[in-house]
Amino acid sequence: MTAIEQAPSELAETKSRLVLRPRVEHLLTAGTVVGLLGLWTLLSHYGLVNPLFLPSPEAVWTSFLEVVTEGYQGQRLHQHMAASLERILAGYFMACAIGIPLGLLMGLSTRVKAVFDPIVEFYRPLPPLALYTLLVMWLGIGDTSKITLLFLAALPPLSISAMQAARSIDLRHVRAAQMLGATRAQLFRHVFLPSCLPGICTGMRISLGFTYTVLVASEIVAATAGMGWMIWDASKFLLSDVVIMGLFVLGLTGVALDWAIRQFERLIAPWRFA
Amino acid sequence: MICKRALLAMLASAALAHAASAQQKPDKVTIGYLNLVNAQLVTKALGLHEKEMGVPIEWVKFGSGGDVNRAVAANQLSFGGVGNPPATIGIGRGLAYRGIFVLNMLGPVESLVVRTSKQIEKPQDLAGKSAAAPFGSTTHYLIIAYLRGAGVDPTSVKLLDLAPSDAVAAWLRGDIDAAYVWEPSLNKMVANGGMILMDSGTMATRGYPTWDIAVVMDDFAAKYPDYVTKFVKSECAAVDFWLKKPEDTAAIISKELSLPLDDARRMMQGTGVVPCDKQLTDAYLGTSKAKGKFVDTLIATATFLTEQKRLPKVESRQSYENFITPKYLEAALGK
Repeated sequence: MTAIEQAPSELAETKSRLVLRPRVEHLLTAGTVVGLLGLWTLLSHYGLVNPLFLPSPEAVWTSFLEVVTEGYQGQRLHQHMAASLERILAGYFMACAIGIPLGLLMGLSTRVKAVFDPIVEFYRPLPPLALYTLLVMWLGIGDTSKITLLFLAALPPLSISAMQAARSIDLRHVRAAQMLGATRAQLFRHVFLPSCLPGICTGMRISLGFTYTVLVASEIVAATAGMGWMIWDASKFLLSDVVIMGLFVLGLTGVALDWAIRQFERLIAPWRFA
Repeated sequence: MICKRALLAMLASAALAHAASAQQKPDKVTIGYLNLVNAQLVTKALGLHEKEMGVPIEWVKFGSGGDVNRAVAANQLSFGGVGNPPATIGIGRGLAYRGIFVLNMLGPVESLVVRTSKQIEKPQDLAGKSAAAPFGSTTHYLIIAYLRGAGVDPTSVKLLDLAPSDAVAAWLRGDIDAAYVWEPSLNKMVANGGMILMDSGTMATRGYPTWDIAVVMDDFAAKYPDYVTKFVKSECAAVDFWLKKPEDTAAIISKELSLPLDDARRMMQGTGVVPCDKQLTDAYLGTSKAKGKFVDTLIATATFLTEQKRLPKVESRQSYENFITPKYLEAALGK
């Protein structure tokens, strides 16, 4: 997959941003956000929805302030956030460290693919909570089982995108480098890796988003802190303002992490954004 | 000769009347029940609701009252069962349901089991250890009450939220030192290196009674009041069966919960099932005119939970009185 096939919309976006209207997209985004917030405020102020199901924006904001200053069940928001981030990043980075090289190898060697493909393809569609009950039985109720679940959730998008990236290398680039006398090591460093980087980065973004969705599942059983635990615990006590606040915080931090990966991609594969 | 119009009008009104009376019957009744030892197991095994109501019944099992509350909020149930702590949470959060029948008075069937090897002999020994209880349930409420009553700071104990069946798995893996849960999960822990430190019967004598109450959704009760009476009638029959035929009941329980007969018998001893006419006395629900002590227990539970910051405030006495609804029981008993 070359850069052009890979992200036609992003390239078009870049082009249009430079050539056509630079502000319309920003206005549309802002308009959507404001519109949704407005709708929410209207629904709750006019009592159209049961406050148990949809607390007002003020209630959510108040609970945010409360959890930041006084905490939820003894721990403050930054502590819950830290506990969750620790688990996600541990599982995610382990998955990157193992999944990306594995995917590249699978792309290069049909034999390696034949060995690992059945395993990854089999467990990939399994619901995380079902996997988790097994993990808890094997690894206990502590952080090990949680991080393992997050690792297993993060792995498939990484290995699959790395594998696809490896298989889609433009042979013309390889031939050109060989013609110029590149050794195998140089081929790897200067042709192979850079070609795969954009695909790998897309895989990283997808994987992070997916790992995030598994976070709450991993914190349901015997956690004592964490954003997922906070949301789950609040739901048991029907504190929907805390639940919605927790979801917002998770969503916003997810957006922030995704942005971080995109910046990282700009750094190591700048040619994609030229 | 009747003119066509009049005939049509008569047919139309007959059809409407038929439709109106047909609407008095629910399409389906969804009953949420707790995974516990009580007379509802008899009701379920003997198909009493199916016979009395004559509509399809869906039985949905829940791990604890907190889960039942969530399902009630999502409008998934016609009837349910909750302990007094989840009931106060439901009332405090404005869930539209009311309590109609006493399922059981909790005794040793719910106990705090501790690992024998950890030599936990008094509540102070629990500090620094890990203990499991399903959050939002009767036992969560009691373990905190137990610790505070003994002057132990509950935050010094590593309290984990685990449903009773998950707590068993954690116990068997050696991940937890104590658990306050109910049968049939309790059994498995005691049999694997556990001993009972405290039980709900003793906690009741210390001023923390716990009980489970059957609830009906206000919506359902408004549409089908006769069916609520039928529900109570069948449950009363099951309670009678439990009290008059203990051996047959033990056989039913051992089959439903896949337990040996001896265990079933022992668990029956550990819980108090209340005959229906007694439920109308002051000690329990009381009558529609004068509600009983259950209201006071709800207020005490709500006060405790508010101190624990699990509830924003204690509601007015009227809210708790409105929740306790003996009228269906009165109708079922013909009073």
